[in-house]
Amino acid sequence: MCEFGLIVATFTSPENIGMDVKSLLWVFPLLASVAVIYKATKVRVIFLRRFFTETLVLFCTLCIVMTLIAALLHAGVWIITG
Amino acid sequence: MPKQSKIDHGIFLLVVAVLAWTVPGAGHLVIKERKRAVIIFVTITLTFITGLYIGSVGVIDPVGAWPWYIGQMMASPAVGVLGQITRTGHYTSYGKPADIGQIYTCIAGLLNLLCVISAVYMAYAGRGEIIGEDEDV
Repeated sequence: MCEFGLIVATFTSPENIGMDVKSLLWVFPLLASVAVIYKATKVRVIFLRRFFTETLVLFCTLCIVMTLIAALLHAGVWIITG
Repeated sequence: MPKQSKIDHGIFLLVVAVLAWTVPGAGHLVIKERKRAVIIFVTITLTFITGLYIGSVGVIDPVGAWPWYIGQMMASPAVGVLGQITRTGHYTSYGKPADIGQIYTCIAGLLNLLCVISAVYMAYAGRGEIIGEDEDV
């Protein structure tokens, strides 16, 4: 019962996440979720090995695209602000 | 299709939609898509709980952040219960953790909306008849 209370207590106060670049890494678990759900709704029949491979490919694609967009935006800001 | 059968099918689709909204993956479970149901349940629940863990239950704020709350509500009606608890203002969340928590919980809700639509469409079209590329068996 005490352990359950401790687990619930962890959800009542926010985690300590700084404003540094490392905080951007939180986007990757979210991209994994999006890739898994998209593939789960898209494929006609789920074969686990094939599903895993296709999800991994989609996840990597999303990561690369998001990284490129971030780099482009960063470059744009750097050019504008000098 | 006879009129009574059409009504029964409509009720079945409604039941699938409500179940899929209530518990992520339950809609697919009803139409005997077990693997899909488990994958959806685990992924959406983990995403939502991760959001709550990062930003605390304070990220569910039906008063101060109602646009996010609409997205979060798509995850499950149980979010409404959490919303009633946090409405008191005892659980607050600010800054980066609140942002990340809100994004995670809202995306989990929107992904569940996608799954609700998928479950209803699969129930409507017949299991395994979803639009997409054919796969090797």
